[in-house]
Amino acid sequence: MKRTAYLKSAFWGALALFLAWDHARAPRIDLRFEPPLIAAGSGQTSTAGHCALPK
Amino acid sequence: MRRLPIAALAAALLFVLVWNVSVRQAALFAIGIGMGATLAGARFGFTTGWRNLIVARDPRGVVGQAILLALAALGSMPLLVQFPELKAALAPPSVSLVVGAFLFGLTMQIADGCGSGTLYKAGMGVPLNMGILPLFALGSFLGSVHLDRWLALGVIEPVGLVDHFGAAGALVATFAGLAAAVVLALAWSGVKGHASWLDRRWLWGAVLLAALAVLNLVVAGQPWGVVYGFGLWAAKLATAAEVFDPAASMFWSQPGNAEILRQSVLLDVTSITNIGILAGALWVAAGTASAGRQLTAVQWLIGLAAGFVMGYSSRLAFGCNVGAMVSGISTGSLHGWLWVPLAFAGTLIGLRVRRRFGFDAA
Repeated sequence: MKRTAYLKSAFWGALALFLAWDHARAPRIDLRFEPPLIAAGSGQTSTAGHCALPK
Repeated sequence: MRRLPIAALAAALLFVLVWNVSVRQAALFAIGIGMGATLAGARFGFTTGWRNLIVARDPRGVVGQAILLALAALGSMPLLVQFPELKAALAPPSVSLVVGAFLFGLTMQIADGCGSGTLYKAGMGVPLNMGILPLFALGSFLGSVHLDRWLALGVIEPVGLVDHFGAAGALVATFAGLAAAVVLALAWSGVKGHASWLDRRWLWGAVLLAALAVLNLVVAGQPWGVVYGFGLWAAKLATAAEVFDPAASMFWSQPGNAEILRQSVLLDVTSITNIGILAGALWVAAGTASAGRQLTAVQWLIGLAAGFVMGYSSRLAFGCNVGAMVSGISTGSLHGWLWVPLAFAGTLIGLRVRRRFGFDAA
């Protein structure tokens, strides 16, 4: 039980650290290029990554 | 941990996303939370459903999954025709798909969770799945790096049912395929009466997940995916550690992938829904008894190795149960239909390995 609690803390701690590290190293997000809330009907095709993409 | 602090943390992250990233990413995080809460609340496990069908001749999980696919297709296919900016989960049938789907089906039984299963169980605090997640990410990353060599073995152009037959034709073909799968499952199970093949938990899970998958498509412009986000996280770490040069990789040197690798992970669609799924599952698990089980050192080793192979093979197969099966089939990609029997064949072997190492008794 105690071991699982340590594992949970390590897991969530590692995820939080990763997000903080990534936030610190990534370029600042430019809000002027914010995409429309809903892609459907926006006329903008998604350029995001997906597991179905071969490249 | 109680649910209120978790809900407060999720709300805080939602606020940060709205304020600092985009309303769309915040919406996708909320959709991810819904997916995680549904997967965990309904215990909607793709792996368990297949295992129950084969081992216990219990078709309820597979019927639930067929309902999910049918409802998601019903919502997605007309939208793909109506809004040309929405993309289907089209992937090319290839040698890599054959090998990857088979290995994925095999290892998901050992690891006791597919892509979404690993995520929601890790969120719920199941020790093996928490341990698997980083290895899944590493495997997914390595799969993406090797993908060009796998594709060189043989690949054809993606086939989209909606493009070929229109929404109505694609829906008819999809429903016919799903009905055939359900009939086969019921015949194998030998069940009589709907109570033994239709379960309320699987049903409400299927309805909610289908609605959320369609919502994901409408908001993100692309179907629900899991694996890409995992590979991205490992690629970021490998690049930062200077052990990997994205420019030398066919996959990561593509302009779209290179840009996603460079920018904040909070801007990535798949990553943000993955984080939402973890948060939603954590919220459901809060206050309930731990679902963890005691494993031996050998079982841990086998389970972690299976998680790594699962990540690698899901990249070769162009998705896991979510990206290839749910999103592929519901948006009319032929690769989803090829993925299912290959992964099911792998599952038949995986169940033997699972039994050999005593996972069922654990």
